[in-house]
Formats: sequence, C-alpha cells, structure tokens
Amino acid sequence: MSAPATPTLDADVCVIGAGAGGAVVAAELAEGGARVVVLEQGPAHDPGTFTARPPEMLARLYRDGGQTTTIGTPPILLPLGRGAGGTTLVNSGTCFRTPPAVLDRWRTDFGLELDEARLAPLFDRVERALSVAEVTPELAGANAAVARRGAERLGWSHGYLRRNARGCVGSGVCVFGCPTSAKQHTGITYLPRAVAAGAHVVTGADVRRIDVRGGRTRTVHARLQDGGRLEVRAPTVVVCAGTIHTPLLLARNGLGTASGQLGRNLALHPATAAFARMDEVVDMARGVPQSFYVDEFAAQGVMFEGVAGPPGYAAMSLPVTGEAHREAMADYRRLAQFGLMVSDVSRGRVRSLAGRPVIQYALAEADVAKFRFGLARLDELLRAAGAREVLLPLPPGVRPERARARDLKLMAFHPLGTARAAARPTEGVVDGDLAVHGVDGVFVADGSVVPSALGVNPQLTIMALATRLAFRLLDGRIDARPPAPPTEEETACRS
Amino acid sequence: MSTGLDAFVAAGPPPLPAVLRTLLAVARRPRGRMLLERLPRVQAPVHAALSLGRYDDPAVGRALGWDADVVAARGRALRRAEGRP
Repeated sequence: MSAPATPTLDADVCVIGAGAGGAVVAAELAEGGARVVVLEQGPAHDPGTFTARPPEMLARLYRDGGQTTTIGTPPILLPLGRGAGGTTLVNSGTCFRTPPAVLDRWRTDFGLELDEARLAPLFDRVERALSVAEVTPELAGANAAVARRGAERLGWSHGYLRRNARGCVGSGVCVFGCPTSAKQHTGITYLPRAVAAGAHVVTGADVRRIDVRGGRTRTVHARLQDGGRLEVRAPTVVVCAGTIHTPLLLARNGLGTASGQLGRNLALHPATAAFARMDEVVDMARGVPQSFYVDEFAAQGVMFEGVAGPPGYAAMSLPVTGEAHREAMADYRRLAQFGLMVSDVSRGRVRSLAGRPVIQYALAEADVAKFRFGLARLDELLRAAGAREVLLPLPPGVRPERARARDLKLMAFHPLGTARAAARPTEGVVDGDLAVHGVDGVFVADGSVVPSALGVNPQLTIMALATRLAFRLLDGRIDARPPAPPTEEETACRS
Repeated sequence: MSTGLDAFVAAGPPPLPAVLRTLLAVARRPRGRMLLERLPRVQAPVHAALSLGRYDDPAVGRALGWDADVVAARGRALRRAEGRP
C-alpha cells in the first residue's frame, strides 16, 4: 500500500514564522497581490483564555516556559515568545526607531545603505499599523511616577515610552498575555491582515527542510502538530523563525553557511532590575509596566526602562531570600521596580545540539563595567525618588562597583545578529536586501539580520526591515497582481 | 505543587523539568533547605520557582492588592463590549 500523498500548497512566497518579521512581511506581500503561505511553529493563542497568572501564562505563551538560558558567565535567562505574534505577543510593547548613530555604524561596518530618511516612511507605516503612541502619565501608573521623580530630582533625561497599544487600561501583565488585546502585537494586527488578503496561515507547522536545487528554492517541508506533513512549493522563502532558531534552520539546510558567520555575533541587550521599598503605595502592577525611560546614559550603552508585574512575578525576581524576601513581599504594595539594559559589545553564538539551540554567551569586561556603572546609577535614581531601601540584584555584600560578571543576575529580551546583514558575503549571512548570500530565493526577516546591538527595543527595527523586504520582493521578484494602485505611502516605502 | 507552577516546571527545556522537580522536593524539607542555602547558584532558581508558585495563589495575591481573576474578567468584558480581537 502506498503512503498517502503529502498535502501540498503552492505559493509565490513561503514565510516561516509569524512574529515581528514574518507577520509583517506576509501581510505586506499578500496585500500587494502575492500568494503567501505562512508556516508558524506555535499555536494561535486565544486571548479569551489569558488568565493574568504568571506561571500558567509563561508555560503557555513562551518557548520552553520562558526558561531558555544561555551558557556562559553569567547564565542569562532569555525568554522567547511562541505562537502567532512571536515575541511581540509577550513583550512590553515598547517602540523605538533605530537610533541614527546605529545606522551610521551599519553603513561603515557592514556596508548597509540604511539611513534615517530612507527608513522614515517604513517606520511611519509600521507605527500606523500598530497604533504606536506615547503612554500617558495616568496610564503609566505609580511605578513610573517613582522613576520620574528620581530622574527629575537628578536632572536626568527621561520620558514616557511609545508603545503599540490601543485602548490599554493598564492591566499590568503585558508579558503574560494582554487580557484586553490592547497590545497591538503582530498576531492581532498584521497576521489578520495577511489572512484577509488571502494568505494561508498554518499554525503548529514545524519546518524541517527547505529544498534548494540548482541554487534556487523549490519546496518547504513541514511537520504538523497532528503528525502529518505539509509541503509548500514556492520559489521564494522568507525565514523569520527568530534570532535563536533561524540560524539552526538555515544551518540544517546548508544555507547561509559560507561566510562562517551563521549563528555567531549574537547580541542580547542583557538586562537586570532593582527594587525599591517606598513609603507610598505603588501597586506596581497597576498601569503599564514598561511606560517610562531614563536615557541620560544611553550614549554610554546604559538605558533604564520601567519593569513591573504582579506578586508572583515580583516574588520570583526579588534579589533577596528568606526573611528579607518575606518582609519585602509583605510590603509588595509599596515596592517599585526599574530596569537597566545594556547595549552590549559581547557576542555569543547559537549552535544546535540534537535539534535544540545551545546558546553560548559570555559577558565581556566592557559590558560588566556598564552594569557596574548602571547599577550604581539605578541605586542613585531610586534613592533620589525617596526609596527607603534599594534592593540591587547582587549577592549580599557586593556593591555595584565591585560586581563581577558572575555576581550579576541577568535576563535578556532582544536577541539579535545571528544571521547578520552585511553587503560583503564574507561578513554576513544576508545582504543589504536580506537575501541569503549565494542562494537565489531565500531571505531572512527577523532579529537575526540586525547586525549589532541597538541600545533600544528592536521590534520596530525588525518590522521596518520586514516591510522594506516585502516591497522589494513585490517590485522585483514576484509576479504579483496588485489589487489597487500603490498609495503615496507605499510608493515612499518602495524608494 | 500548584497547577500553574506544575505547568511552568513541565514547560522547561529538557532536562530542566526533572532537575527542578527534584530540587523543589529537596527544598521542601528543612534539611534540604539548609543544604541548598550552601549552594546559592542552585538555590536561586529553586527559590524563584517556589516564590512564583506561592505568590500566584489567588488568596495571597488578593491580600497584596492583586486579583488576577478580576484583571482577566475585565479583559474579557472589554474585548466583548468593544469587539476587540
């Protein structure tokens, strides 16, 4: 008896992954008239089932329950979203455009012709799609007010963050699944647009193989959740599996390996946070957890951003144990928290072990120095705000200026660079148009192409690059039938 | 172990769930706790997981001014009333 035929879909473009890059590229391509199939490994989450309870939501919305950890000194927790929306489903929604100084560096170091003016229409388009706007002080809540007071007393540069949210009521659980669907993640913005324009989205589809013959892509093979298989025949494939998984998928298929850069150059924006015990009631989980920033030291690679959450989250994060922990948690309503993120020069590497990612990353001394400096400033900020006590994420008795790499308790939320873009094939995995060097028809659009740390949250950068790729594909590669003449904005995005 | 914590532990990458379950069992015994106190690198994730579970208890949360059920219900009501996704 012969095996049943594997179901096959035909498309102009197969997009692998439905996060910050994949959902955007899929929507723009589908709306431009291309036949698109999206293969997403994770599920489509129903916000009606979001419970605002951290342990349960970590298990459901994150890869490996949010317990992905790097190997190195110190080990760094690297939570990654899984499902339609990718990490945009579980991030804090903070939106920054790529800093111009970073774009200048990319031009010099990697030959990438990206500047503020060229990217502006792309950012405009993405920001409109995501309803990006500045958080109001009322919505920001008392946790932000603490940091603002500290920054004002010290005369440090600060402001309210811009976020992709609409109708936010400050539920305080952005990273545990927004229960009001106020956060405009790509799973509820771009992906429905892609579907409305005719894209076929398959969730629970784990891509195993990308067939390339004669230097051109032919077929993408996926395993489905129910054990079945699916093939997508498409001359163009856009890989958007994320910074940790894209290099594994490319390497497994022998793609992008010629430069020797695949899986290398991993930047993370390592981060940490301090708690402050205040006299006033803060109720840190009432309001937008990440709503305020202090960028006084951004030029030195140190950025402060708000962070907060419900008691379970705070209890897990508090840098004390025993009686001190019990006391601090009994006073939870008066706890404030603020985070510190470093624009890292350290570089890690992602490799595969039995099909799973192994992430090596050791913090360079230059970055340890940024944490020493940053923690001392964070202590100063919170004390200036009136903290009775500041709980720094360091072992007992270790002051910031004496901290070593192994003393730091770090997390990271912005993996970047493992399939970096560079004009020269010896220096990058993809070129300036995000095409994999030396292969016809394979492109990458996710954090992996971002060639260096940004110093700010990267989702808008990834989405702008994905938008640019979509328009370039529509212009040059795909025989699409646009449903309508391009708008002025679309014309600007194509230039 | 609470349902939420159990799900969280089970979702970890292999072999972490088995390791963490063992360590959580050790941490629940007085002598085990004393042993872990001498191993801060091991104690940290165990303490974090235990704290996550303990303070996820709705009664504990409510006593601290946080009610996850209210937050989730408000979300459902808003989504229904305004036709949000």
